Amino acid sequence: MTWVRRNLFRSVGDSLLTLVFGALALYVLWGVIEFVFITGRWEIIQVNLKLLLVGRFPEELLWLVSGSLMALGFWVAAAGGVAKHTSEKPPSVGAKIWNGIQRFGLLAGVGILLIVLSADWDSVALGALIVAAIVAGRLVALARNKIGALSRIPGWVWQPLLAVAPITLIALTLSQASIDLWGGFLINFYIAIISIFLSFPLGVLLALGRKSTLPIIRLISTTYIELIRGAPLFVLLLLAGVALEFFVPPDLSPGSIFRAVTVFTLFTAAYVAEVVRGGLQSISRGQTEAGKALGLSTTKLTALITLPQALRNVIPAQIGQFISLFKDTTLAGVALNVVDLLNVGTAVTKQDDFLGQGLIYEALAFVGLLFWVGAYFMSRESQRLEKRLGVGLR
Amino acid sequence: MSKDVFTDATIMSGDRSDDDAIVVMDNVYKRFKDFEALKKVNFKVGRQEVVVVIGPSGSGKSTLIRCINRLEEHDDGRIFVDGTELTQDIRNIQEIRKETGMVFQNFNLFPHLSILTNVAMGPRQVRRMPKATAEALALELLTRVKIPEQADKYPSQLSGGQQQRVAIARALAMKPKVMLFDEPTSALDPEMINEVLDVIKELARDGMTMVVVTHEMGFAREVADRVVFMADGEIVEVGTPEQLFDHPKEERTKQFLSQIL
Repeated sequence: MTWVRRNLFRSVGDSLLTLVFGALALYVLWGVIEFVFITGRWEIIQVNLKLLLVGRFPEELLWLVSGSLMALGFWVAAAGGVAKHTSEKPPSVGAKIWNGIQRFGLLAGVGILLIVLSADWDSVALGALIVAAIVAGRLVALARNKIGALSRIPGWVWQPLLAVAPITLIALTLSQASIDLWGGFLINFYIAIISIFLSFPLGVLLALGRKSTLPIIRLISTTYIELIRGAPLFVLLLLAGVALEFFVPPDLSPGSIFRAVTVFTLFTAAYVAEVVRGGLQSISRGQTEAGKALGLSTTKLTALITLPQALRNVIPAQIGQFISLFKDTTLAGVALNVVDLLNVGTAVTKQDDFLGQGLIYEALAFVGLLFWVGAYFMSRESQRLEKRLGVGLR
Repeated sequence: MSKDVFTDATIMSGDRSDDDAIVVMDNVYKRFKDFEALKKVNFKVGRQEVVVVIGPSGSGKSTLIRCINRLEEHDDGRIFVDGTELTQDIRNIQEIRKETGMVFQNFNLFPHLSILTNVAMGPRQVRRMPKATAEALALELLTRVKIPEQADKYPSQLSGGQQQRVAIARALAMKPKVMLFDEPTSALDPEMINEVLDVIKELARDGMTMVVVTHEMGFAREVADRVVFMADGEIVEVGTPEQLFDHPKEERTKQFLSQIL
């Protein structure tokens, strides 16, 4: 009660504000609840769930997608769990569970929601398998901490080893299923993930290039960065739809997804480059001088001293860049006619069964939910990463 | 003040021959835009000698020692370290940096690496020592500066005095032939100054060749074989601590000493 009085009703003005905004919040909340549980007609999602998630992806190859998800879960669980708690006392079991819920509760919630919506045993089985893969990943991570022979494997061998399965499966998926048949959220997910993994190293190279002592490399990097940053993403995407024909023979004409990945990679790399360059500039001159005084070569100075510190300093901006890439993948749907989640979402409202019933709200709400959960997860994980790497920050 | 005086002073004070010197600066000139930081400086450091450089701020003391390992590039004159001349040749520069250790005013430890990794960095990456050997050496040096128990911590977890001792250990790990100290205690809280000075004194007793820029006059008197007084980019006077502190010859020196003592 005292808390309420102190924080909500301290004065007449405060009380008024509390009442107005409280009423507003209740009104909005009621609207949402009413929409979700009473007026919303979710059959449209239920019927088209597969279409929304994977498009017209061939049924017999769906195991590749499921397999990739399992492998990714395993990989994240196994690779993410290897850091040891050094100084502080280990957290209690309760704290660990709470921490787990905070980190993965939302993802799990959406997973369960999807299973409930699909209402078949296959998806229950898939859910169980993904959970099993994650548990297996945790066990492998634990084993590495406990078993001497495993813990002696250096990180640069261990981490790639764990990544073999997911990367093989993703590559297999790409090579097996004809890319025209892809669709729905799967496309947004793959475009985002592949573009992130390609644009990051490219961006770092561009940043180093812009700070290079060789004028020609500096010129190329700077020109590239400024050109790309000066162009709207949407224009670049539209351009990629037609312009690639100028460079590639027509019979080799790349598919829309390939074009989208190319544009997103090249576009994001320019932004990553500027973010990383900012990070490099934030490193004090004393650091470079100390490294030089030790006799470190320029390459080692960058690789061991300045770049690691710079990258750590820019994690928030970096993840922000990747989150917007993830959401911008919907632009590819509009610009390149990729059958992505947004396109499927709007298309299903035009099916015979649902036409003219104003179900666009339901469709867009579902699309928005999937993106929001993905983006929020990335944001939370980046904060965690920042905290963990913050050890010893000045 | 004419230049000959300083040349004379150098010769007078040094009973060592040229080939015996580990650092030789010959008519070194350095300017930053319109500011002349070093005006034709002649300077020599003999093996196992401890030279302390004093003088008002802006007198070129820091520039002097930063030229020795090429953190600053001199515009004219010649610099030799252990017989190798500092030229544009990057290999020469690397060679000389291997043989010179430097300790900075602001410690400049690598904040993202543990204390042990900081100290092992030079031997491991530059001397290409195996990891285990480099870390054993690092631990030995941390023991020498009396903080082996901090090995697994990170720089930000240490006090200023401790950080500076780590920085000294990091420089020593390269087994340098000469150590350069650029105002090593100026950024420290008063109560931490002595722990750092004690480490430097011990190095002096062990016969390490050192050039120390400092404002600690008591320390200078205690460890210096020679004291160099600089003002306005020139070496004004050189002598033993007794000569320079008790019987300064130059008016500029007297004036400076009267201000700080």
